[in-house]
Amino acid sequence: MKTNRFTLAFVSLLATCAILLAACAPATPAPTQAPVATEPPAATEAPTTAPTEAPEPVTIQYWHTHSDAEAAQLDEVIAAFEEANPGIQVEFTRYAYNDFKTALLTAISGGDVPDAVRMDIVWVPEFANEGALMQMDGNLPEFESITSDTFPGPLATNFWNGHYYGLPLDTNTQVLLWNIDIFEAAGVSAPPATMEEFAAVACTINRSPAETRYGYAQGGTYFWAPAPIFYAMGGKVTDEEITTATGYVNGPESVAAFTMLKDLYDQSCMSPNLLGGGIATDAGHAEGTYAMIIDGPWMVDIYKGNYPDFEVNFAPIPTGPDGTTSSVVGGEDVVIMDGSQNKDAAMKWAAYLLGADAQKMMAAVGQMPTLVSLIGDASLPPYFAVFQEQLKTAQARVPHPKWSDMDNAISNAYQRMLRGEQTPQEALDQAATEIDALIAGS
Amino acid sequence: MQTTRRFSDWIPILIFLLPGLVLFVLFFLGPMLYSLRISFYDWKIVHPDQSIFLGFSNYQKALSDPIFQRATLNTAAYTAITVIVKMILGLAVALLLNQSLPGRTFFRVAYYLPVITSWVIVSLLFEYMFNGQAGLVNYVLNDIFHFTSKDVLWFADPILTLVPIILLDIWKGVGWTAIIYLAGLQSIPAELYEAARVDGANPLDQLRYITWPLLRSSTVFLTVVLVIGGLNAYISFQLMTKGGNPLDLTHSILTLMYEATFSRLDFGYGAAISYLLTIFVFFISLIELRLLKQQAM
Repeated sequence: MKTNRFTLAFVSLLATCAILLAACAPATPAPTQAPVATEPPAATEAPTTAPTEAPEPVTIQYWHTHSDAEAAQLDEVIAAFEEANPGIQVEFTRYAYNDFKTALLTAISGGDVPDAVRMDIVWVPEFANEGALMQMDGNLPEFESITSDTFPGPLATNFWNGHYYGLPLDTNTQVLLWNIDIFEAAGVSAPPATMEEFAAVACTINRSPAETRYGYAQGGTYFWAPAPIFYAMGGKVTDEEITTATGYVNGPESVAAFTMLKDLYDQSCMSPNLLGGGIATDAGHAEGTYAMIIDGPWMVDIYKGNYPDFEVNFAPIPTGPDGTTSSVVGGEDVVIMDGSQNKDAAMKWAAYLLGADAQKMMAAVGQMPTLVSLIGDASLPPYFAVFQEQLKTAQARVPHPKWSDMDNAISNAYQRMLRGEQTPQEALDQAATEIDALIAGS
Repeated sequence: MQTTRRFSDWIPILIFLLPGLVLFVLFFLGPMLYSLRISFYDWKIVHPDQSIFLGFSNYQKALSDPIFQRATLNTAAYTAITVIVKMILGLAVALLLNQSLPGRTFFRVAYYLPVITSWVIVSLLFEYMFNGQAGLVNYVLNDIFHFTSKDVLWFADPILTLVPIILLDIWKGVGWTAIIYLAGLQSIPAELYEAARVDGANPLDQLRYITWPLLRSSTVFLTVVLVIGGLNAYISFQLMTKGGNPLDLTHSILTLMYEATFSRLDFGYGAAISYLLTIFVFFISLIELRLLKQQAM
């Protein structure tokens, strides 16, 4: 009895040690093949001479949120990179966009970060401000030569506190999508060229008697949705130096943009779905509920999959009162994590991704290149033309670590004015106060 | 008899407990204490050594934040309504399923089926059903019964948003409540009912004087567990309100915690919110147990 108890206690102690050791052990990949007994292990053949310059094989971890088609194409890019850079291997991990920030934060707090990451442009200042990203200027040897050929808007999204913390990997912007069948049925032959025409067309097409129909629809009140109209009408969120929002987000141009949207909503020319829980803009547009929506280049692939017979028609964002168009810059940047152990190899990978070859390969699956020299390149899909033209005037959202909160302040102001709780001026005055507090607090 | 153990007697016991204790400390107690520490700081995730000590200011900020107050109110209302309705309906279903009806097994399975469905999938399904422009619910209310004159935008209204969220939880939870009550019912000896019938008690009297008192332990268990579950509501709120839409008026405490931590990177504030929730849960459970104990006496 006594020995039995002792044995059990011993087993229990062993189990504890096993748990602790298992938790501390580095993850080792399970061998995929059992060693073949007849062949002598390679290690027994000791090299007679030490290799003079043994290039340590390096594997870098690259995290991204690419789609199926893009991830498949990325395999090709990796193969080409590995061929050009023997000794460096790229392993990628794919995440869903909604889980990505959490996954990155978990990795950062655990101290085990990926080497390079493709992240949403609006996250770069946020992560840079936390000290999680490597400064690119001054570290990346090719920094000057690469950035001299990138679009300024996407490049600006990497700038925080006097330095660049990433490279613009791919870019996009939003343009007008118009449903040609609805337009023809309503006797309108062409997409609107000015904001006045846009409002008039939206109200001409709304609610034909037989069915519920809207001239225009927005996906929500988050800033990305009204941003193209806001910027085209001359709206600004803050000054260039990001010192104040007063006089900008509540300035006359910004107020005029939101007033136009509120009027469209009040007259039922814009669908109420943007308040939440309505028909989604992509489905509604293809099914003929929404005559116009504003969206990005990925819509081509989405419609190809979900509505193969639907004819997608793009047009530039209508011009504002001063005769110029504009839109909002979206896209992703490639960054190198500050905690990376393989910064040199990661920098080579980042620089490769910004090269013309890699950019063209990813363009084939809908990723718009960030290189000015690729404008009009014959290998790019034809529908890129309207987006590349729009990108010349598109503006970046405020590159600031508190951008998520600023976005929320504008979104809430938009909600309050649509609900009639405040006038556009009152709502945006409140947003200006809130954004000023965010700038002052950081 | 020896009443006090010698130290050497404790050693084997401690060694037996060690595997469990190690796991508990490593994966529960450790992270809990670490997040308690985070809640007192303006926490820097990359350089924790540069974090700034704030004392109780994260807690003060939460308690005076109207968004947190609203989230607490939403969570409390959600918990109160869902727990009471699930217990009443669960008891009713259990009483029905305890009869010797034809197809009893089928109904037991049918009522339990929603319990094992995925929260994410049914949340999305309810979102479709309550779509403001093309949803089934509006179609029934508007086009079939003419209760409403125009489409209701459920998710655009801070109060109406709670309707699908609450209905989902009731639909999904009644089966489980019923199973617990059913187990309780089957442990009540049949002789008690026979004796009561002999004494002339009608079914309502039997329910009131035999069934309900003898189900007390099931009721206590259900109240405590369901209230804790209700206060921890997250998935349905997150998916159906998209994180507080509209105007941050529809958060639950946990969706607000998630947003503070993972979308605004305010780890200290997020940790403070989770500790406030822990304190609420602890005191509410204490009060429940006290009240239910008193009721028994």
